[in-house]
Amino acid sequence: MTAEQFVIDDRENNLFRVNREAFTSEDVLQRERKEIFGKTWLYVGHESEIPGKNDFQTRDVGGRPVIFNRDRNGDVRVLLNTCLHRGSSVCRHSSGNAKIFTCFYHGWAYRNSGELVNVPGNEDYKSEPAAVYKGLKSPAQVDSYRGLYFVNFDPDAPDLLTFLGEARYFIDLAADQSPEGVAILEGTHKYSLKANWKLLVENSIDGYHAKSVHHTYFEMMMELGATPPMLGQDTVNGVAPAGMGTEFPNGHATLMYPANGLPLATDSVKRTLAGLRAQAEQAFGENYANAMFGLARNSVFFPSLILIDLSFGLTLRTFYPVSASETLVTGWQIIPKGVDEEFVKYRINNALTFWGPAGLATPDDVEALEQAQKGFGARGEIGWSDVSKGMGKPVPAANDELQMRSWWREWNRRITGEQLPTEGTSFVPFDKQGVDA
Amino acid sequence: MTSLSETPSITTRSAVEEFLFHEAALIDRWRLEEWLDLFTLDCTYEVPATDRPDADPGLTWSLIHDGRTMLEQRVIRLKKPEAHAEFPHSQTSRIVGNVQILDETDESISVTANFIINRAKAGKFDTYVGRYDYDLVPRNSSFMIRRKRAVLAHDMLDPQGKISFII
Repeated sequence: MTAEQFVIDDRENNLFRVNREAFTSEDVLQRERKEIFGKTWLYVGHESEIPGKNDFQTRDVGGRPVIFNRDRNGDVRVLLNTCLHRGSSVCRHSSGNAKIFTCFYHGWAYRNSGELVNVPGNEDYKSEPAAVYKGLKSPAQVDSYRGLYFVNFDPDAPDLLTFLGEARYFIDLAADQSPEGVAILEGTHKYSLKANWKLLVENSIDGYHAKSVHHTYFEMMMELGATPPMLGQDTVNGVAPAGMGTEFPNGHATLMYPANGLPLATDSVKRTLAGLRAQAEQAFGENYANAMFGLARNSVFFPSLILIDLSFGLTLRTFYPVSASETLVTGWQIIPKGVDEEFVKYRINNALTFWGPAGLATPDDVEALEQAQKGFGARGEIGWSDVSKGMGKPVPAANDELQMRSWWREWNRRITGEQLPTEGTSFVPFDKQGVDA
Repeated sequence: MTSLSETPSITTRSAVEEFLFHEAALIDRWRLEEWLDLFTLDCTYEVPATDRPDADPGLTWSLIHDGRTMLEQRVIRLKKPEAHAEFPHSQTSRIVGNVQILDETDESISVTANFIINRAKAGKFDTYVGRYDYDLVPRNSSFMIRRKRAVLAHDMLDPQGKISFII
């Protein structure tokens, strides 16, 4: 790697800087592939995407092709999608239902639990391939939390629950939105951006850019009679309109602010929402229900799983680098189970106004990130990016940059081994707080 | 699906083509307010997810599912300089072809066509390819659009990245 140092964490002057080499260097990317995508928990998919026996989805996870599936017994598996013989994919569909995966190159066939069950010309081998190679390999660790499946290619990595730590509370706030649970809607947003993957991490938890980048979106909301994010008057669970940013161990972070505005919501949709909220209040208490339905939240789970709940939609997104300056993004929409069709339609129509490669907001984010990547061409002259906003404040706001600093400190620890102290804010779950709303 | 040859058509393909070419020209020239005027008040404008081309964009995580209100807002937004992804505007050149009238009733006609859209912006050149499905309503010797659906023939938006203009 060329740079001497990637992160300057100046506590005396409350300045935080990131070396722009981190966004442009292929050497850094190689290091990330090994130290981050080879050693942390990476998101694969949600159980609702493979509801029945033999259902599968193929995915690229941290540069590895995998099959995320249920075997004939209904057990969830993650199999590396590469034939043990000479490497070709054993499954070339993006999703479907299959009991057997066959490599078309030489015809080796595997049961959907992995075992190698057929080798054409098996009699020509002195040592039978099935005895030698057994079956398709799985990542070293596969685990799930609230229906979200993750893999870790490092057998020595701490387990998933330890890794997620307190930050998993924000997965709970999504997963608990219906007593029947939540599901991923059919249909996937898959798109690329010509920018480093870490720029999208920053953007996904960046409340500061909203007013400038999404100005036209806010105007649209107001025209439809809704209040844009962070411009409301209400305090919810002690969270002021300006919101708050929160850091967690292992590089996870969240920003939240009172949820405002439900453009396009009909009376029936509002009734459904009130029903979900009443059920949540009964099951979990008022504070938790307030947090669930009264606060908007953007969370990052290190390195690149993003959960965004802006109350008018619940988006899950993950992304992996193709090169230092190109990223492939996959986005999904989460919906509470058991709601009526009108509610599903409302959520889709609302969420689509903002998100996705054809939404009225996401393309502007992509434009900003691609422009930043271009700007890094001048890194010889301007070598550092600033991520200082709100540093030193006792309670950073949602449009401060604590979330990004927390993420960058973990990135820096994994890439350089340098351990930087946290800013010391700690989050008290809402159901454990006194009622002060 | 009824094939063209079996359908006794009172509407000629050339009349439909003339309308679709006019629509294409309005979008390419960024005359979006005039383009919006081609739509009925109960219109939908849809782009399904690339992995669910045949699914209902209103019930799946599609790319676009606009009713009249959102379509108006999309146009209003795209004409502002703060629509950053499209400022300055992309230059697009679209070819609409293989136009077929699939069905015709007294009230509307169902039309399908192929499209190729070439888009240039800031040194980047992308191509978008796919199929249009239209429900057109005859009006004053021309048509209005009740439904426009653009089904992309892409398995993902790579390298295109985004659909920030009208497709």
